[in-house]
Amino acid sequence: MHVLIVEDEKTLAYEMADFLKKAFYVCDLAHTLEKGIESVSINRYDFILIDLGLPDGDGLDMLHQVKAYNPEAAIIILTARGNLEDRVKGLDLGADDYLAKPFYLLELQSRMQAIARRKFNIKEELIPLGDFQVDLQKRLLLYGHETIELSRKEFDLLSYLLLHKNRVLTRMQLSEHIWGTLAVDDFDSNYIDAHIKNIRKKLNAWASTDWLETVRGVGYRIKIQ
Amino acid sequence: MKLATKLILFISGSKLIIVGLFILVLPFLVGEIASEYTNYMLRMQRAEVMQTIRKNGLDYYLQGESEYGSYTMLKEEYIALEQIDSSSIQDTIRDAKRAVEGDTLSYRILSHVFTDQGKQYLLEIGKTSASIDHYNKPLQRVTLYALIFLIALTVLVDVVFTRILVKPLSLIIKTKLLNRQFPFRRKPELVQTSTTDFKYLDESLVLLMQQINEAFEKEREFTANASHEFMTPISILQSKMENLLRDDLVSEEVAVRVVEMMRTLDRLKRISSSLLLISRIDNEQYTKTDTLRVAPLIQELIAEVDFKLEERNIQTVLTLQQDMELLHVNADLLFQLFYNLIHNAIKFTPSGGKISIADQLLTTGAYQIQISDTGTGIPSEQLPFIFDRFKKSISGNQMGYGLGLAIVKRIATYHQIQISVRSQVNQGTTFILTFATNQVRKAIS
Repeated sequence: MHVLIVEDEKTLAYEMADFLKKAFYVCDLAHTLEKGIESVSINRYDFILIDLGLPDGDGLDMLHQVKAYNPEAAIIILTARGNLEDRVKGLDLGADDYLAKPFYLLELQSRMQAIARRKFNIKEELIPLGDFQVDLQKRLLLYGHETIELSRKEFDLLSYLLLHKNRVLTRMQLSEHIWGTLAVDDFDSNYIDAHIKNIRKKLNAWASTDWLETVRGVGYRIKIQ
Repeated sequence: MKLATKLILFISGSKLIIVGLFILVLPFLVGEIASEYTNYMLRMQRAEVMQTIRKNGLDYYLQGESEYGSYTMLKEEYIALEQIDSSSIQDTIRDAKRAVEGDTLSYRILSHVFTDQGKQYLLEIGKTSASIDHYNKPLQRVTLYALIFLIALTVLVDVVFTRILVKPLSLIIKTKLLNRQFPFRRKPELVQTSTTDFKYLDESLVLLMQQINEAFEKEREFTANASHEFMTPISILQSKMENLLRDDLVSEEVAVRVVEMMRTLDRLKRISSSLLLISRIDNEQYTKTDTLRVAPLIQELIAEVDFKLEERNIQTVLTLQQDMELLHVNADLLFQLFYNLIHNAIKFTPSGGKISIADQLLTTGAYQIQISDTGTGIPSEQLPFIFDRFKKSISGNQMGYGLGLAIVKRIATYHQIQISVRSQVNQGTTFILTFATNQVRKAIS
């Protein structure tokens, strides 16, 4: 997958590229609107990540060119403005998703995966998870032919861990994914712990959940082949 | 009490007192006038009598006798002439009794001594006291009526004039002070008045409002810019840490430290987002077009924090009407508002405590939601400040950074929801949200 990152904060652009490269994306960087449009006119991209506040103009202005040169590219708008109008306008102009800064790179990757599944119509088989199987489309957790009842948040949590299997996810990353950034006084890591506890309790009634690991002081990980 | 009312009361009161005093002294005054007038009349009559005597000669009256007397039929007046020897009697006007035809009556008597052909004579002209008093009563009555009429007239004029005079002040109060929603969005208009004091007051108020607006504008801009500017550096740091955590070369101990750093950064992020949220509410960036059912929202929220309630063994009692809907709200903001209030309640309620959420429709048509806990409570001296930013409540073992309730207040103000708080130390705290009649309705199910 080929990705263009249009972001004037060079350090941030490098970090994004670094992260995505490890997930086997090929990344190009552009630090200005002009460079971005130039790249779009030359190359074909699967994903274009556009920061709105660029030194030589508004990232929204680039969307027309992108649509002209590269109509099949998926566009994700990144912004620190967090403005509702921008969001609506961006999505109206054909952006596929919108992420407010600061976002977790993991969340960015997940959004890209979700778009890819949708856009490229990837039909997923049932994903095996220990003795269980996960149906992401229908949002079901199966044990054989039995469906295991999970709450919405519990399923979100489990599928997020599964999509990033064999990686440790911190409580913050998990919390932001399933609840976004609510303006809460104090971060409550117990919140994720309680959900994990419930998931384990529900699943253990059927089979072992050894694959769901707690990594002390860091977070949680699903460890499967 | 209003200034106009006070002025009118004062004016009417002082007038009544003066009138009262006047009525008290009125008989005396009228008596004085009548007495003076009688004296004057007597002197005039004396002059007339003397002229007549001089014209006709004294003998015409005395006809050889030493005395002459004449009186009217009702004995109201009399005239007497008498020859006297001693000249010790002076000219006087005095009250005395005289016997006329067997009746002893009280008279005002003018005595005058004059000499005619070498002999001394005494002339007395008398008028009964009763006839003098006759004038008093009607005079008093007429004076009293005239007075009352005049007083009523002046009081009426005063009332009208005071109203006109004080009107600019009521206008200033109405347009500048009553029901002012801060921040002042509309430019205040000057009240037209020729009273310089009011003009000065009005201009000062307008100036103050402008200064407050400017200060608020600056603060809002600063908050928005500052928190916005934080977002990019936070983004960079967060991304770097995330990448570091992913690095296979990073040992377990280092990973733990990176997560600790991320947690601190997360806190900074939350503070910045909270401040941004507040400034966005101040900028009215949220639409208020949602309709929201209260009971399901609260139930959802309680479900979210259920694990915490269980862990701390806190009991929740929900007494909510199932069909109440809030109108013209922003659902995200309302969620945040209730979340913060419930979160706050849990934070300050010790194990084994209770949180109650109840609603009621008041007889006025307003709708109230009460969120009560049996927590540590807020000391009364801290109560006025709990909605201020960065005011930490130190009670309890937990400490937030103090934006939760500030956000609650902003959201409530933005939606024109009244919020009040009652608290007693070690008894608990109750937050009361009051929605106006036009902000709620019963859902049609």
